[in-house]
Amino acid sequence: MNIVIENLPFLFKGAYYTLLITIISMFFGLIIGVLTAIARLKGNRLLQGISRVYVSIIRGTPPLVQIVIVYYGLVDYGITLGPLTAACIALSINIGAYVSETFRGAIQAIPSGQTEAALATGMSEQQAVRRIILPQAIRVAIPPLGNTFVGMLKETSLVSVIAVTELLRSAQLLVAQYYVYMPIYLSIGVMYWIMSTGFTFILNKVEKRLSVY
Amino acid sequence: MIQTKNLSKKFVDNEVLKNISVDIPDQQVVAVIGPSGSGKSTFLRCLNGLEEISGGIVDVNGLIVDAFDAKKIRQKSVRSIRQQTGMVFQQFNLYPHKTALENVIEALLIVKVMKKSDAVSIGEKLLQRVGLIDKKDSYPSKLSGGQQQRVAIARALAMEPAIMLFDEPTSALDPELVGEVLTVIRELAEEGMSMIIVTHEMRFARDVADRILFMADGEIVEDATSEQFFENPRTKRAKKFLEKVIEY
Repeated sequence: MNIVIENLPFLFKGAYYTLLITIISMFFGLIIGVLTAIARLKGNRLLQGISRVYVSIIRGTPPLVQIVIVYYGLVDYGITLGPLTAACIALSINIGAYVSETFRGAIQAIPSGQTEAALATGMSEQQAVRRIILPQAIRVAIPPLGNTFVGMLKETSLVSVIAVTELLRSAQLLVAQYYVYMPIYLSIGVMYWIMSTGFTFILNKVEKRLSVY
Repeated sequence: MIQTKNLSKKFVDNEVLKNISVDIPDQQVVAVIGPSGSGKSTFLRCLNGLEEISGGIVDVNGLIVDAFDAKKIRQKSVRSIRQQTGMVFQQFNLYPHKTALENVIEALLIVKVMKKSDAVSIGEKLLQRVGLIDKKDSYPSKLSGGQQQRVAIARALAMEPAIMLFDEPTSALDPELVGEVLTVIRELAEEGMSMIIVTHEMRFARDVADRILFMADGEIVEDATSEQFFENPRTKRAKKFLEKVIEY
């Protein structure tokens, strides 16, 4: 236990990277996801096709494979990314696919009468989506998005394979140094759990905020 | 003025509207009645392009949608038509995430790109007119069906439409709430607003409408003044329909 306490700053640094990767990937994943969902539902045939293939590939392959492709695979084409950048790119692309499916469902859950009412007042299709449909869809999407984001937080542990010193890798480094397993792994387990709970708490707040109506 | 020429609408093989040609001059109040499935709502929705027409022409104040024009051209006229027509739906379709006032001014802000303060003063006037100014900051979920529908009418009026389209505005309301909505519509009629009302409220149609279009099987079977229609319907179908409705 003393080893853990002595090395807490080191573990916290790992936790910091875990959070950083999570938040960056969530941010870009959200943008990718919303755009993909709209492309899938309202786009022309080409856009629909592209978004469908994207979602299918990402959901049909392990995230670990996606991470190593971005980090090691792209080097073959002269694209060398830092481990942190590669991690964020891979995870953003990964989470975007899941977010897009969540949003697609949420958008479809909004009654068509809403679009019709907006169009009938002279709004364009785009204005109707932006002003009327999306704000309602976000509210529907929040609970499943919460699941996705907490899943994401845990998935960041995968990027330890490309030498990003996030929480899991920090622990592995300590283990390699001290040859003590349980206290170290247990403590990062607790840290993951605390961070997940924190996320859930924040999302609940957001959900409450959005349900003023 | 609204005019249709040989307007037809097909859903796959099902012909819902068959060659409807009708002229509706300004300031006329028209009630469209008929058995369910007769195409009344579809007819109304074709007028402002919520349904794409399969054949013929719709002409609203000189803005023409021709089924044979390219989609781009049709879409453009449809959007101009929508800015000149207000529509009120059976299910109200208020935006649940916006307050009553925000519902009313949304199109002013987005479509007309009006200054917020100007839009708000128009919105408040309209809510006053439908008797709901004290509810301006309420969300739709906090309003009764009748109140929601009155907000929806205010929302439709905000764009200063030349014509109002009502699609069974009282069908989803509890009986005791029908009156307040009909009163608002009646006041609009008295102010000289042109309107087309799809309705099952026969007494209301008789009182308020200048003209009745009786539809059955996708056709206008009878086109008469309301007096004529209710006192002395010409066709057998209309007679039968009236007997049935009046019975209950």
